[in-house]
Amino acid sequence: MLAKKTPAREEAPDGGAGTRRDALGISRLSLAVGTGESEIPLLADVTVRVGRGETVGLVGESGSGKSLTARSALGMLPRGARATGGVTVSGVDVLAAGYRELRDLRRTRVSMIFQDPRASINPVRRIGDYLTEGLRARGVPARGAAEQALDLLGQVGIRDPKGAMGRFPHEFSGGMLQRVVIAGALSTEPELLLADEPTTALDVTTQAEVIGLLKEMQRAHGTGMLFVTHDLDLAAAICDRVYVMYAGRIVEESAGASLFGAPAHPYTRALLEASPSVHGGRAEIKAIRGRPRALAEAPSGCAFRDRCPLAGDECAETVPAHRPHGTSLVACLRPEQVTP
Amino acid sequence: MKRTRADRAGKRAFAGWIGKRVLGGILTVLLASVLIYGALRLVPGDPVLAMTGGRRLTPDQIEALRHRHGLDRGFVQGYLAWIGDALRLDFGMSTNYQTSVTSLITNRLGVSGPLILYSAVLAVVSGLAVALVSAVKGGLVNRAAGMAAAVTTATPTFVSAIGLLALFSVGLGWFPATGAGTGLADRLWHLTLPAVAMAIVAFGVLARVGNAAFAEELRREHVEVARSRGVGAAAVIRRHVVRNALAPMLTIVGLLFASLFVGTAVVETAFGLDGVGSLLVSSVSRRDFPVVQGIALIAVLLFVVVNTLVDLAMPFIDPRVALGGAGR
Repeated sequence: MLAKKTPAREEAPDGGAGTRRDALGISRLSLAVGTGESEIPLLADVTVRVGRGETVGLVGESGSGKSLTARSALGMLPRGARATGGVTVSGVDVLAAGYRELRDLRRTRVSMIFQDPRASINPVRRIGDYLTEGLRARGVPARGAAEQALDLLGQVGIRDPKGAMGRFPHEFSGGMLQRVVIAGALSTEPELLLADEPTTALDVTTQAEVIGLLKEMQRAHGTGMLFVTHDLDLAAAICDRVYVMYAGRIVEESAGASLFGAPAHPYTRALLEASPSVHGGRAEIKAIRGRPRALAEAPSGCAFRDRCPLAGDECAETVPAHRPHGTSLVACLRPEQVTP
Repeated sequence: MKRTRADRAGKRAFAGWIGKRVLGGILTVLLASVLIYGALRLVPGDPVLAMTGGRRLTPDQIEALRHRHGLDRGFVQGYLAWIGDALRLDFGMSTNYQTSVTSLITNRLGVSGPLILYSAVLAVVSGLAVALVSAVKGGLVNRAAGMAAAVTTATPTFVSAIGLLALFSVGLGWFPATGAGTGLADRLWHLTLPAVAMAIVAFGVLARVGNAAFAEELRREHVEVARSRGVGAAAVIRRHVVRNALAPMLTIVGLLFASLFVGTAVVETAFGLDGVGSLLVSSVSRRDFPVVQGIALIAVLLFVVVNTLVDLAMPFIDPRVALGGAGR
């Protein structure tokens, strides 16, 4: 559901992350629904930047607000939500955009790939209809759209593209459908691709194929990608930079590769220790105590402090500001105790 | 190559599936016909006495009546004779009008047919329009539509018929109170109030069920995905909401059509129309069994034909409806 524009929105502050050259610039985005006493905050001060052709990961547990952040790039905010901060896609101010501007933005500059391809495609319409719908919306004539769709299906590795055009979603496997969705997302040659856990609903064996395809297509088209996932290993493997989210806030920004070697936030380290790895030794898998928090129910100060082994009294006072530590920007008072 | 073989197998399966549906329909009609015929035999006492309503008859006359209605034969033989004639569209002679039941019914279909169609169009157009608008708008509009649906569903047809008569024909004088009119325009004018009276309950049912179906489709993820791709709002509603709600809607409309046929009994009596419905009512009170049986059989036939057609249309509307009933 689209939120109505509200006058409460503030202009993007100067020095925010969004510049004209970036595919996506989210600067100090805060989101809340409800008013007064019953106000529920969803996101606080989220700053995310995706350069052209860059792959950026957005990692966190469910409920941390990563899907919400990704959707804000499309202007798809929860019904009745109020936003402050700035969201720009290729220089277009998304939060200020009206119905037409948003529609045109979605048609030409941003595409989103959702988690479950089977739910993403209308089950009663043909694959060909799905692919040409995006193209036709851009004004491509019917015949041209059909030709482009055929070409795209070939590119994403669907056998017999001609036959596939006339078939229905239930005749395809999940992996094949996600390929169709990727083809649909790239059909409009977007500058920004939002991938919201695109492999979570797929078999392990098809996951690698879909990721490979996604990266390959992204390289070929020079598209910037925001890759939303809960899989830290995957994010570190394919992303240039990774943002780690917890309770509606970004807690760490780090270069993809260095995330493993030098996590700066206790939450990042805890996530790494909680995920089994086939590469390292048989290290013990440590579950994070407590349960993940939403922003609305997070404790004061650092939201992670009630689950953090390093937390002290000063963590309760203010939300820690982002500061550099190693190759990371981290919102923690004592990152040196996580990785010296 | 594989595809064509699969196609051929698919076509064979499809033909078999159609055959099964049609056969099922025929069996339903036959079963119902046994019950309809049996009802005559279930009349307490002697059916002939029930028919004549206690008038004094000579034994010869009684015997003639018994013979004419096949009552002198056994149940099976009598049924076979009756259904055999019915298959040739011969439902016997009306005891009241002394003419053939078939011509009696077909003459009156000239009133009831347009009335049912008129009423169905009114109910479907208004019901689905209200359902769609209320589902899309939500909030107050949705609540108001929900209340309207509840009130109209709960209003018996005879009450709305009397209300409409009092307001529009006695009070305002816009529409005639009785008669079916001659010529197309005049007939439409005469049939408007009866059609509205019949459509009111159907409107409520469609508005309510349609609202639920549209609301459900609106919540689907592919609708959100279509919006995220910049598909215009109207196209999203048309291609992803209305299109997907067609299947449940068609089922309801099919059921409604048959219930409107039965609904003519009340409305035609209230508005003094010489249709099949009023014929049914008068024939029941005059114990004109051949007419009652004929109309009952036609109602069942209509019901089964419409629903079989709806069933047959399903795989074309929703490709996931697997042929042969094995759902995904």
